[in-house]
Formats: sequence, structure tokens, C-alpha cells
Amino acid sequence: MNQVIGKSVNRKDGRAKVTGQATYGAEHQIPNLVHGYLVTATIANGSIRNIDTQQAAATPGVIAVFTHKNPPKIFKPTNNWMTSKIYEARLPLSDNKIHYAGQIVGLVVADTFERARDAAHQIKIEYETHSPQINAQKANYQQATSIFGEDMEYLAGEFETGDISVSGAATVEAIYTTETEIHSPMEPHALVAHWDNNDSVTIYEPTQWVKGSQRTYAELCGVPQEQVRIVSPYIGGAFGCKAFPWSHGVLCVAAAREIKRPLKVVVSRRQMTANTGHRSQTEQTIRLAANKDGKLRAIKHIAKSCTSPVEVFPEPCTGITPVIYATPNMHLKQEIAVLNVGTPTFMRAPGENPGMFALESAMDELAWELNIDPVELRLRNETKEHQRTKLPFSAKHFAECLKIGAEKFGWSDRQMQPRSQQQGELLVGWGMAAAAFPALRNRAEAKIRLLPDGIAHVLTSANDVGTGAYTVIAMTAAETLGLPVENIRVELGDSIMPNGGMAGGSQMTATLTPAVLTACQKVLETAKAQNAKEAFANLRESGLTAYEATASSAPGEEGKKFAFNSWGAHFCEVTVDEEIARLRVTRWVSVINIGRVLNSKTAASQIRGGVIMGIGQALMEECHFDPNIGYPVVYDLATYHFPAHADIPRIEVSFVGEPDLNFNPMGARGCGEIGITGVAAAVTNAVYHATGKRIRSLPITPDKLL
Amino acid sequence: MKNFAYVRANSVEDAISRTTNDRQAMFIAGGTNLVDRLKVFLDEPSQLVDVSRLEMKQIERTNEGGLKIGALVTNTDLANHIEVRRNYPLLSRAILAGASQQIRNMATVGGNLMQRTRCPYYYDTAFPCNKRQLNTGCPAATGINRIHAILGASESCVAVNPSDMSVAMAALDATVEVQGMQGKREIPLIDFHRLPGNTPDRDTNLEPGELITAVILPPLSFAKSGVYLKLRDRASYAFALVSVATALEVAGEQIKNARVALGGVAHKPWRAMEAEEFLIGKAANNKSNFEQAAEIALKDAKTLAHNGFKVELSKRAIRRALTVSAQGGGIV
Ligand SMILES: Cc1cc2nc3c(=O)[nH]c(=O)nc-3n(C[C@H](O)[C@H](O)[C@H](O)COP(=O)(O)OP(=O)(O)OC[C@H]3O[C@@H](n4cnc5c(N)ncnc54)[C@H](O)[C@@H]3O)c2cc1C
Repeated sequence: MNQVIGKSVNRKDGRAKVTGQATYGAEHQIPNLVHGYLVTATIANGSIRNIDTQQAAATPGVIAVFTHKNPPKIFKPTNNWMTSKIYEARLPLSDNKIHYAGQIVGLVVADTFERARDAAHQIKIEYETHSPQINAQKANYQQATSIFGEDMEYLAGEFETGDISVSGAATVEAIYTTETEIHSPMEPHALVAHWDNNDSVTIYEPTQWVKGSQRTYAELCGVPQEQVRIVSPYIGGAFGCKAFPWSHGVLCVAAAREIKRPLKVVVSRRQMTANTGHRSQTEQTIRLAANKDGKLRAIKHIAKSCTSPVEVFPEPCTGITPVIYATPNMHLKQEIAVLNVGTPTFMRAPGENPGMFALESAMDELAWELNIDPVELRLRNETKEHQRTKLPFSAKHFAECLKIGAEKFGWSDRQMQPRSQQQGELLVGWGMAAAAFPALRNRAEAKIRLLPDGIAHVLTSANDVGTGAYTVIAMTAAETLGLPVENIRVELGDSIMPNGGMAGGSQMTATLTPAVLTACQKVLETAKAQNAKEAFANLRESGLTAYEATASSAPGEEGKKFAFNSWGAHFCEVTVDEEIARLRVTRWVSVINIGRVLNSKTAASQIRGGVIMGIGQALMEECHFDPNIGYPVVYDLATYHFPAHADIPRIEVSFVGEPDLNFNPMGARGCGEIGITGVAAAVTNAVYHATGKRIRSLPITPDKLL
Repeated sequence: MKNFAYVRANSVEDAISRTTNDRQAMFIAGGTNLVDRLKVFLDEPSQLVDVSRLEMKQIERTNEGGLKIGALVTNTDLANHIEVRRNYPLLSRAILAGASQQIRNMATVGGNLMQRTRCPYYYDTAFPCNKRQLNTGCPAATGINRIHAILGASESCVAVNPSDMSVAMAALDATVEVQGMQGKREIPLIDFHRLPGNTPDRDTNLEPGELITAVILPPLSFAKSGVYLKLRDRASYAFALVSVATALEVAGEQIKNARVALGGVAHKPWRAMEAEEFLIGKAANNKSNFEQAAEIALKDAKTLAHNGFKVELSKRAIRRALTVSAQGGGIV
């Protein structure tokens, strides 16, 4: 063992990315490539009475125009998790109905991007327009089913135990709201579809789930799975919006087949505000009742979110509530309403993120009510078991996160009263909140090849969405084989490789590295060697071209014995210049418990990224829809604000706890999403401490501080 | 996008004659605003007349002791120019508060004056918009109007001018020098941009064919007291919700002269003359004078559904900026 696991290792893919060698979906150069531009609806509710494509079709360079009158052939997919999955159940161009502004109503294909865009602009559409339902406050809410209407009961949210009406020495009840947020990855949604003889296709597209995408496109095209190849080696950010094909992808692949040319479709930033997912706005009611000593007696958590007319996606806010604190009485409920907006979807910590904003804000309110330090209040309510499944948590170090975080931050110096800390003209506030995210793991396969030149080659279809997967896979192989990381070559993101699972739900590391570990052990066995050095010697002697082994790894019965979750605590300082409503986050400490940390550098970066995204949610991210027309009124990265460097302080991240070996052989839980949970609450709690003003509606734009 | 010709002007006269003879022709300088607009069909010129290589890149001292700034001076060069930093610090700070370093490296003085509104309804042809096409309506007035105008708006348009540089120049009594077929003329900066009235399609009083050649800053003895305070939704790289440029001449404790201009509140950089007049002769160490000045500056404010907060935010920004100006200026 050369003990590389846990060290700080630079990204394997770093050089390729910063030098432009990394090829993203839309960058694949293919001879004969043509360009598609999406035509999108400018109304939010109604239907197309007439669509005039004549002028567009006649413009120079135009090859084809697809609308609902002549859609390319698309086969209806089974559309469930096991077989195939598309983000939006309605297939593109399936009829003349308009369900939301920005819905795809056509695709223009031309020899250049500019000509396709120009022709798309010339299409004239007459609509029959109905007034759209845009207002979440006036919407009609119903008990939510689970995500996609599928059988995932724990996410549906309804749960009741004990007597929720009990009161205590203190009760807080409040409504918290969050705004619609857009994923806004740096790499836009884009793909190239390249058919070979009408029966097999290669698709270059950023996807968090290569094998799922392969199966789905196969069904959509009516071809066997082996005849679809997905190539997705690099992804410029996804955050949940690149897990399945969206309508533009479906349309691109189907249209490419029809026109018999390789076709590229890039979704514009403007279009991405409407038709490639968002996090729904939420309205959450929380009621907490507690004894004088702070022990919770009851938690009520009712969450409302919105979905589109063409898919069911409730934001599962209440999923995390029974995980964090112990209480005998609990009521959780999730409601959903349909609006004429695009389809919402997973966005970094779906559910946990807004859910914990509400819960951790309410906990802060309770702490003030009881005059108990908010750290202490959380410690007193810690639970050893999941409140719904009653399973004990494995390797839980939440209390340490709280205590060590408080110490690193200097929390004990805090003046308890709001408005009591000042720095010149600025009010200073300190706030904290818990972080939590479930630890997920799935089945994955990886292949190892030991090559005569002393290189170990790892292959799997899994991919790196920017998280550092290339690096932790290499580190796992290096550790197991006894090789330097530089001698490991990792190839990811291609469906011809073994099934590496999905980069979603913070599960990639936990899912894949055990498979890499097992494959490495297996290849050493094959080579009859203790380590790679011996294996390479044996290989050269044998005259073979390579030793190869493929292994898979999957969770076993452990999920019946334990609940697996990751934990953390955020502490932050804000300053408020009250007269001019200027709020700055000036200091941040996060202490996180994710089992074994495989690469301290990329793990800390994931947490930092989560914190930054959470600060964005706290301070500025919001997508509004025009109340009359229904179209988003943000249209690019200059109007949809997320943090600039100047908004972000130094973020100090540390990890606590031991390897969670009940969970998987690596002892590693994921860290992609936990970083964002609790962040917004830590900020609003700090703002309360600074100003005495409780902000229950995100984001805290200057108008809310007046 | 519609095909257009691209021509490089070889002289100011050449540039002017091309746009005078062809009303569909447009100048392009740094391209940081126009190219974005072209991509989303806001402008469909017949030709782009590239003026960026013309000789208008100098910053010169005027006989009066002010500065003459060529229209092609980049925002970066202007902000960093030693005389500007020394004698007009608020201009330097206003420019540096805008856009990003990369954009400022390309952006020019002329282009900055001519940049168009960031109203989302203007920016997407999916929406009707009187500014894009007269008599189609203004959905912003009844839509999401958090960033829209509180001063000088009309029924036909509630958009705001997005420029930071122009607000500073308005406070500094700048003059815009323009040249057309008829020769040169000078327009005071505060009359350069227009209120929307019922012609929101016109942002400025520049006549077709006219080229901005320079901006002239008169000397201002108390320019060092200048403050530019920009309040926005994120710490950097965002347009102003509200911005304020101020400067004060104080003798003893008495205000002798004052400048107050606002950005983000109107279809043009908004000079608050009445507030300035009020301040003259008042005590500089009495904050209530600044409060009253702010009330005066905003007394005609009219709000829409979502931008009411801008009134209070503007008042507070004025108060703060004047307070800092009274102390000799600096960064807020
Ligand atoms: C993401 C982003 C953020 C930004 N943020 C800010 C901000 O916070 N604050 C701010 O003030 N600005 C901001 N800007 C705008 C920026 O300042 C302008 O784009 C820039 O100043 C325009 O200058 P340009 O030379 O590139 O103009 P161009 O794009 O070349 O031209 C703009 C217009 O001016 C006309 N024009 C150019 N030169 C002349 C001339 N000499 N005479 C007559 N007409 C002329 C052109 O015909 C065109 O209509 C931002 C821009 C972007 C893209």
C-alpha cells in the first residue's frame, strides 16, 4: 500500500480542462455535421392554431424544419427508472398543445448554426392563447405523489406519528419560502447525434447517467441498446439537470436519423431558463414544539411545490426532516400544484436543500424562543436512529461537527443578543445550521487492465460531472495496486464500457470505488501477484498483452440494519450595512462527516462548491415568471445572478469521523450535495443575529433588508 | 440573423457618410453590447461600420483644465488614467463598478453611452415591447418590474438606462461631442439621453448618422469629494438597482456646491438638480440636510408593483453618498 487515499491529490483531468483538451458534448468535430436550432413557444398555455414554416424552409442553408405537423419518428419509451427515463413524459412535437412558455415547438436544421437560428426566428406561429396559471400562491394544491409518480414512498412525504397537536414550553410556527432556481451549469445543454445506416447511433452528450441514457435513447429510437453509444467523457456541471434526456435531446437524435446527417443541437441560455429544468419554488410551514430544556416534542412540516402540466416532480422537502432530530410526534406532508411553467427537476440536494432551509431556520427561532444556544439546542435533539425507519445510524458524527465547528469558528465568543456585535458602522451577525444528506450507493462495474508499459487502465461508463471522479478512481486503483497515481489511466463516460452507475444523489464515489477496489484485487489474483510490480513482471514473462479483470459491487443487506447519512455543521459571519441594505458573508466554517475522505482536496472543493451555491440561493438566485405571459424574465447569466468571487469569503472546510465500513468497503459516503444543505439557513440565522430581522423568504436581496 | 456587410471605416467622415446614406447601418466599437443584441435579433443592421480603429483614443487636457476623452478610449483605460483617478475619482470608480475586467477592456466610451437597456422584456423578442417596436405595448409595466424606473417613466416604457459611467459623467457636467454630415456639435450629457415619453424607441438625441467623437469634462474643483455608490443584487458583475454619484464643495461647514446624480432609476442618468440647489448654503455636518435632499430628489417618484423599494433605497444611497462626500470623498 502506498497510502494515497485521503491525501490531497490534484485533478487528473485538470490539465485537459484548463488547456481546452477536454472535449465536451457540442465540441465533437464530425464531418458533414449540421446544426439544429430549437423553436420555442412564446405563450404559456394554449395551442398552435397555425405554424407557418414556409419562409424558414426557403432560407439559404436550411435542410429541414420539424414541427408537430411532421415530427421525426419517436418511439414511446416505457419511461421508468428500471428501463428508460426521460425528464418530461410528454414527447416533443407530439401535438399542438402548449403547456409552458419555452416549450419546444419546432426544430430547424441548417448547414450553419447562424442560418438555423435565423430561420427559426422566421417561423410564424398563430396561437390560441389561454391565460396561464403562473401564480403559486393562487394555485390549487393537492397531496403529492412521489417523484415522477413512481413508487418511492419515502419521498412522497406524508407521515404521521404521535400527536402533532402537543405544545411545549415553546412553540414556533412559521412559513418559509424559496424561489425558483435554475441550475445554470457552465456547459449548456448540447448534443451531437451521429447515425450510422439508420440503425445505430453515437450520441455525444453530457449525461450524469451514461447507461440510463443509452437504454432510454434506444427505446426512443426503437433500436436495441447495443446500437446506441453514449459518449460523455467530460461534463461542465450538471447539478441534477443532466440525468436523463430532455426533449431537445430526444428531438435531436430522432431528427438526425431522418435527415441522415450528424446533427448538433445546443440549447441557448435563454431557452435553458425554460425547458431544461429548475428547482421549484417552495412554501413550507414548520411548527416546532419543545420542552423548556429544548427537547423537541413535535415537528410539523408541510411543504408545497409546483410542477409542470407534463410531468410530476414534487420538491421532496420533508424527506430529511425525520433524519435530523428526535421527536415523539411528527407530521410530514407534501403538496403539489400544476403551473404553466417548465418541468422542475432534481437540483443539488433536491428536497433536503429547501427542506433544511425551513427546518434549520425554525430551529434557530426556537433557540431564541427558549434562550438556548442554537448549537446546544441541536446537540440536545440529536437522534441515534432514523425517525421513520427506526434504524440506527452508522458512523454518525453530527455532534462532533457541531462542537468542532463551534470551536474553529470561535462561537463561544458570540454575544447572544441580536444587534449586539458591531464593527464600525457594520452590524455583525453569526449564524449556524446543520447539514445533512443521505448516503446512497448502487451497483457498479469497473474493468482494470494492467498493460506491459506499467500502466493500469481503469474503464467504466460512469462519469465525472466535475466532482473529481477521475481522481478518486485513480487513487483507489493506485492504493490497491500499489502504484503511483500517475500510472493509472482512467477512461470514463462511454456506454461501451462496464456499467458504472449514475452521478447523482451523491452516490458516484460510494458506488464506483468499491467496484474499482474489487476489480484491482481481482486483477492481482489473475496475475498471481501481491501488487502491481509483481503483476507487471509476471505479465512481461507471460507474453500476454494485458491482465484484465472486471468486477462489480453492490450494496448488500446493510441497508436493513443501518440508516446511512452524512452530517455537517455550517458556521458563518455576515456583516450588514443597514442604511444601504448591503449584506456580505464574511466568514465561513464547515465541518463535515462523510465517512472516509478519499481525496481531501476534491472533497473540500465539493463542499465549498455546495456552500457557494447555497450562498447564491441565500442572497440572489431567483427566476421570476411574467405573471401574464408566463415566460421567465431572466434570460442569461447576467440576469440570473449567482455568486461572483466578490460575494464569497474564504471557506474553511474540515472533515471528522471514521470510515463508514458498514456502508461500503471503502468506508466512503458521498459529498456532492451535503455542502449546500443548511447554508441558506446559516445565512438567514446570521442576518437575524446581526439585525434582529428574521428573513423567511429567500433570497435576501437588498429590498428585503430595508 | 440577417446577413450584414462589415466595413472598417477609414476616417470619421467615412464612418459618418456610410451611416448617413444607409439608415440601416450601425456603428460598432467594442461590440460588447451590440454583438449580444445582434444574436437575439434586437438589431438587424444592413452593415456594421467598424469605428474601432479610428483615431479617437486620446485623453487630452483641455485649455480650461478639464479633460477631453476620445470616444474610443476603452473603459479600462479611462478608469485607470492617472488624471481621471486624481481629478475625477468618482468617474474611475463608476466605471470599475460596471461589467467585468474583460468587458471593460473592450468597451469604449462611445459604446458605453449608447448601450441599451437590460429590461428583460426588451431583450427577448418573445415579448412585445414599445422600445423595440412602437405601439406593441409594455409588458414590463404590468409584469415583473423590480429593476424598472421610478423616475421619468411613461406609459409606453418603464426601462432604465444601465450605464454606470454615464451617471458619473452626468454629475461631472460632461458634454458629448458628436459629428455628423453637418459638422460637429456638443450636447450636455444630461440632455444626451432622453426620457421615454411616447418615443421609447429613441434612447438618445443623437441624430441618425451622427458619431460620438469625444466626451469633455470641465474642471471641477471639488471633484475629489466624489463618491460613486452602487447598490445591486450581488457584490460584483451586476447592474445597479440604484446608484448615486455625488460631490460636495464645502467651505468651513457650509456647502458651496453640490452634485447628485442617480442611476438605475430612470430611462436616463438622472441629475437631481433641485436637491443640489437645496444643499447650497446648508451645513455639511448635519445629516438631516442630506435626508431632505434625498426626499427632494425622489419626490416625483412613481412606483410599479415590484420596484417600490427603489425609492427608499435611493434615498438612503443619497444620504450615505453625501455623508461620505462631506467627509472628503472615498469608497463606500
Ligand atoms: C455581462 C455584461 C455586464 C455588464 N455590466 C455593466 C455594468 O454593470 N455597468 C455598465 O455601465 N455597463 C455594463 N455592461 C455594458 C458595457 O459597459 C457596454 O457593453 C459597453 O460599454 C459598450 O461599449 P462597446 O464599445 O462595446 O459598444 P458596442 O457594443 O460596440 O456598441 C454599443 C452601441 O453603441 C453604438 N456606438 C458605439 N460607438 C459609437 C460611437 N462612437 N458613436 C455613436 N454610436 C456608437 C453602437 O452602434 C451600438 O449601438 C455590461 C455588459 C455585459 C455584456
